[in-house]
Amino acid sequence: MTTTSPALDTAPTRRRSSRWRTLAWQLAGLALLLALWWLVTDVLKLYPPYVFPSPKAVWTEISYGLWGSGPQDGKLLSAIGNSLRRVLLGYAAAVLLGGVVGLLMGAWRPLRETVGAYLTGIQSVPSIAFVPFAILFFGLNERAVLFVVILEGFIPVALAVSGALMNVPPALRVAGRTLGARGLSLTTGVLLPSAVPSILTGLRTAWSFAWRALVGGELLVSASASLGSQLEVGRNTANMALVIATILIIGTIGGLFDALLRALEARVRRDYGLEVPQ
Amino acid sequence: MTRILSLLTAALLATSAQAQNPATVRLGYFPNLTHAPALVGLERGIFQKALGSAKLDAREFVSGTTLMEAFAAGQIDLAYVGPGPAINAATRGMPLQIVAGASEAGAGLIARRDSGIKTYKDLAGKRVAVPSLGNTQDISLRHLLKEQGLKAQADGGNVNVTPVPPADVLAAFAAGRVDAALVPEPWGAALEAQGHRVIGSEKTVWRGGQYPTTVVIVNAKFAQANPALVTAFLKAHSDAVAFLNRNPAAAQTAVNRQLEKLTGQKLDLRVLQRAMTRTRFTTSLDLNALNEYAALNVEAGYARSVPDLKTFLNPNFLKK
Repeated sequence: MTTTSPALDTAPTRRRSSRWRTLAWQLAGLALLLALWWLVTDVLKLYPPYVFPSPKAVWTEISYGLWGSGPQDGKLLSAIGNSLRRVLLGYAAAVLLGGVVGLLMGAWRPLRETVGAYLTGIQSVPSIAFVPFAILFFGLNERAVLFVVILEGFIPVALAVSGALMNVPPALRVAGRTLGARGLSLTTGVLLPSAVPSILTGLRTAWSFAWRALVGGELLVSASASLGSQLEVGRNTANMALVIATILIIGTIGGLFDALLRALEARVRRDYGLEVPQ
Repeated sequence: MTRILSLLTAALLATSAQAQNPATVRLGYFPNLTHAPALVGLERGIFQKALGSAKLDAREFVSGTTLMEAFAAGQIDLAYVGPGPAINAATRGMPLQIVAGASEAGAGLIARRDSGIKTYKDLAGKRVAVPSLGNTQDISLRHLLKEQGLKAQADGGNVNVTPVPPADVLAAFAAGRVDAALVPEPWGAALEAQGHRVIGSEKTVWRGGQYPTTVVIVNAKFAQANPALVTAFLKAHSDAVAFLNRNPAAAQTAVNRQLEKLTGQKLDLRVLQRAMTRTRFTTSLDLNALNEYAALNVEAGYARSVPDLKTFLNPNFLKK
């Protein structure tokens, strides 16, 4: 996918400078938000600290929770570790399951028209609605949380895979057939590779669904260390700073993974010639 | 800019305009025997009579943590609550004063009959219910575990501490969802009546039974604006406590009627009787026990320092 147009020679430098500008804007926005937060809490004291704590109080919770050395410190760190382990396990299972179901749906029309339609319906149910069912079915434990994560994660993958297989340009299909690809080898050799960009979009959606489902599930099944249970502990001990600290961490982790998947997706789309580098 | 300023002023006014309307007194309590003074006061109309023209708006909560949320939002003026949530909230700067005691002891550790738990040590690897994380029973369970060299899962141990509303513990035991529970009465006695095993009685759980389980708190701003109402309420509270101690049989009937109304569960009077013998009703406050509680709260990881509780205690309303 190389291009020989001389006009694009300076593209990398231009791209780099625009990236720096974006970063600068983003940092300025963050600083503005922090300043506003500080103004509302520390300066104007619009709300009592137990309702809306100051940035400093939240930072104290973060520092105690992440690198504090007291006997009760470091809980946020272990919560992050546990939650990440859980979501990665659930996400991996969801991708695997979603891939298989998506392939089957892509290959067989009746399945696509029944299961595919149901999955679209199930997807519209908020993940938290499945938690009570999962708790009664699996008990108040990690399996209940994993169930919700996998359920939420696998649907976007399955729909993306089957949708992507449907949208493979007929020319590629015909070309593959002409070159002798049949059945499984047509799917693995021609259809799947050409569907990768759309599948990646599905994987990114699945990630954000799985992450949200995880936190929702952990909030209700708050036995072991987890980000959800940190939210619950903060709520139960009137520690709003801990609640906000946990929300920030959940957002940061979710955003970081999303950025990672987005970068991968952009790279693949560029390589597939779906996006012209600017 | 002026618009932003005017918006901010509006927000400021809205927060400060949350002044209490003395026409209603909003009372928070739980449907537990440990809150019997509240249940008796409501059932016998003692509170409403004492408050005179002010309307009593009584709201029930599942545990201290949900009650304190309403308290933080300025929706509760007076409340019966465990010392754990009260101390936590006061430490965070909520305008809260502890004005009287209500009950002592009255919480036990019960194991499901087929759980195989016979001693505290057997709790390892089991699922134990408490009313909610960070509440009074949760803090005493964590202390108990620590004494046994055990730890909750959230602290890297293997005991699964799960929040279950006390009134739902019977169902959770029946379904096998939890293996044991540290619950306030009458739920401990109710579990025992169904053949489940008492592992720790109200005396062995902590401090030989000399610990406050429920205290009366007041919103400091409300108390400042309506001292007469607080005094009148606490007089009624003392009357309810005196009634409980003087006439336990009649009190049990009153408590049972309220419990049935609130939880839909009518308890056997013998169960209630046994629960009553395990709970002491008193208006006095044990500062030493409260201080030890605050220390346990730190030990459980719910706070980082022990606050000076004397600044939160205000026994003057009761003495008037």
